Amino acid sequence: MKPLPSTSSKNPVKFRMPTADNLVPIRLDIEIDGHRFKDAFTWNPSDPDSEVVVFAKRTVKDLKLPPAFITQIAQSIQSQLAEFRSFEGQDMQTGEKIVPIKLDLRVNHTLIKDQFLWDLNNLESDPEEFARTFCKDLGVEDPEVGPAIAVAIREQLYEIAIQSVTSARETRISKKGRRGAEHIPASKASGTALDLMKLFGNKSSIIRKRREWDVYEPIVDILSNEEVDVLEAREDRNARRID
Amino acid sequence: MESTPDPSSKLTRHDEPELDLYTIPIHSSWFSWDEIHEKEKISLKEFFDGSSISRTPKIYKEYRDFIISKYREDPSRRLTFAEIRKSLVGDVSLLHKVFLFLERWGLINFGAPGGEDSAAVAEGAERHRVRSEDGAPNGIRVVAMPNSLKPITMPLTLDVNGEVDENGFRLPPLASYSDVFCDLTKEKGLVCGNCGDNCDSGHYNCLKQGSPVICVKCFKNGNYGENRSVDDFKFNDCNENRGNQGAVWTEAETLLLLESVLKHGDDWELVVQNVQTKTKLDCISKLIELPFGELMLGSSLGKSRASNDNTSSIKPVQTSLESQENIKNGGQGDEQINESEQNGDAENQGPPLKRKCITSLSDAGISLMKQVAVISTMVGPHISAAAADAAVAALCDENPCVKDIFDGAEDNVTEELGSPIRNNELERSLMVEDSEINERPTLSEMQKTSSEKNAIPLPLQMRAAIATALGAAAANAKSLADQEHREIEHLVATIIETQMKKLHCKIQHFEDLELIMEKEYTHLKELKESIIAERIDILQRVFNAGISRWRDPISVKSHTGSPILVCDLTDAR
Repeated sequence: MKPLPSTSSKNPVKFRMPTADNLVPIRLDIEIDGHRFKDAFTWNPSDPDSEVVVFAKRTVKDLKLPPAFITQIAQSIQSQLAEFRSFEGQDMQTGEKIVPIKLDLRVNHTLIKDQFLWDLNNLESDPEEFARTFCKDLGVEDPEVGPAIAVAIREQLYEIAIQSVTSARETRISKKGRRGAEHIPASKASGTALDLMKLFGNKSSIIRKRREWDVYEPIVDILSNEEVDVLEAREDRNARRID
Repeated sequence: MESTPDPSSKLTRHDEPELDLYTIPIHSSWFSWDEIHEKEKISLKEFFDGSSISRTPKIYKEYRDFIISKYREDPSRRLTFAEIRKSLVGDVSLLHKVFLFLERWGLINFGAPGGEDSAAVAEGAERHRVRSEDGAPNGIRVVAMPNSLKPITMPLTLDVNGEVDENGFRLPPLASYSDVFCDLTKEKGLVCGNCGDNCDSGHYNCLKQGSPVICVKCFKNGNYGENRSVDDFKFNDCNENRGNQGAVWTEAETLLLLESVLKHGDDWELVVQNVQTKTKLDCISKLIELPFGELMLGSSLGKSRASNDNTSSIKPVQTSLESQENIKNGGQGDEQINESEQNGDAENQGPPLKRKCITSLSDAGISLMKQVAVISTMVGPHISAAAADAAVAALCDENPCVKDIFDGAEDNVTEELGSPIRNNELERSLMVEDSEINERPTLSEMQKTSSEKNAIPLPLQMRAAIATALGAAAANAKSLADQEHREIEHLVATIIETQMKKLHCKIQHFEDLELIMEKEYTHLKELKESIIAERIDILQRVFNAGISRWRDPISVKSHTGSPILVCDLTDAR
């Protein structure tokens, strides 16, 4: 059976974050006795686990949270790390994958909306550098925005990486079943990826049409205090609704 | 230069497009619109290795042309990555790489204002700061507002604060340059009411109403002015004034901050309670700014340094500083201190030097040297040489005595100055200045020992030490330069030798070739002779065989090489 062009460039790679630094995005959202603690940051999975507790203790001390948070924080981090590690031994598809990444986040008084393309195959990509350039070009002064952007990008990349692991598993399973199944998994795997032939083929130009420029343009908004309060209240309501 | 304008053509040929002038650096002259150069292929090889359909040379060319054209729409404005990435399809990391490549080679943003130009950045940010947005179903409108974030950074201050070391010789950690050299700086705006001189190092305020200040000299000389006596005047030290200039953090507050940090360590709430007038953020940022701030944190957390030592000794140091000033002022008597600003013209290599805090004597040399070293690495050698020359000139100008001693070539090397004599003018003038300081009538033979040095007022010792340090650095630099020079010479000699050897080999080679050629030539000659001999031999035989008829003497001549034909002739007959 002749291998399809999309699968021919695929040699399974062990699961990892498709970025230069193999850092895991961690998100915390803990509520105890009316105290709410939200945070998002990156963690290096090769750090020893003892660091998790140390970090939790220090965070609680710095932010003057009640001590009950320590165990919660440590548990949350550890479970997310464990999830990451559970994927680690497995194979990941690394076909041609250019995926759209969307940013829609609020950090203190800054609101960021953006959309762009990211190449999953580029294992040397650097979300932190992208965030730095972003903040520099758009004159963002709040120093917390950059890391938040990097974490958001990493989370999406993480999601997609997990998807590719599961789809790799499925291809293996279905390959054992039917020969003709190679067609289907290939297209399913690139579900989130863009049709590269269409975009980069000879007929089309890589310059976007003007009407699409607004969609892909980064938007940075500075909010006033009242707007921040309203948005926060709405976010809390959404979060509680999910719970 | 890519293309030149032709003003006359604008008038005569309207149909031809106007040519615009774009400047790119010389090292980018390989660039051409129509082709892709090797440099581009090497730096951005992802496009040229055929690894992906999304990365082809054609695509690269499109990216490149688009970015450059976009920049050239307005060359005076700095093109940011965010502007072009919205218009191009492709992985943003790769696009960023192309963008950085073009920027590095000056094909874009060459001559556009830099990113650190806050005005330009603010402008650019204004353009990107968008627009109204419909937030949610319940109709929140988020409208763009000018940036209202409060700046968190605190302005730099020049505080004087104290910390005492065991030998009692430490300068206050926050002593600024002007505190050390304040007797050299003119106090702005304070002119003596009597003699009209500038009040250099202190002035006396008259307690009575409506009286101006008088300078130190006048006070000592008894020129108080009419109807005033000694008691009416209050001494006003320049140090104190300086300490309060424009500082958001007063000395008292800083003192409180330090105390509370030592007592409470990391606990910012308690610190803030102590320093009531400042918020937590202010405290933290102020502490970080203080040169020893982080050390204090470390010491209060880990080590067992008693806070009492420091806090109780801070006050005495301040008073001792004042008393030392008094001694110095009293001792100088009539001597004119007309020296212009900087002894620190030696440090005139950069304005930032004047503001840096000198932490302690032992550290002063290091931090100052570091500054000098950093600045001298930042600027080119010509600038450093010019700065050194200016420093020497300034030192000479400061005091005419310096020049005399300088010319007199008298060596007042003290043992502690210790640096060997070199041809370095800067060093010599510095040392001379030291000796000149030492010659002040106040304390006569303070040339040699450290115990005597302790009697010298603090700022003078500082100056001596700084001069020493600079001199030593200069000497070191000279020796390094000599070494480099020697090495250069050595290398040049090696190069020349190698070249000679190369030439020698070539000559040898040619000689060998000549020899071979000669041999071949002789060989050929012999061959030729043997062939001729053969011919003669054949002819001889022909004659001997007696050919009577020569049909065609010319043809026979031409056929002399073929004896067979000749023989046929004879046979035919």
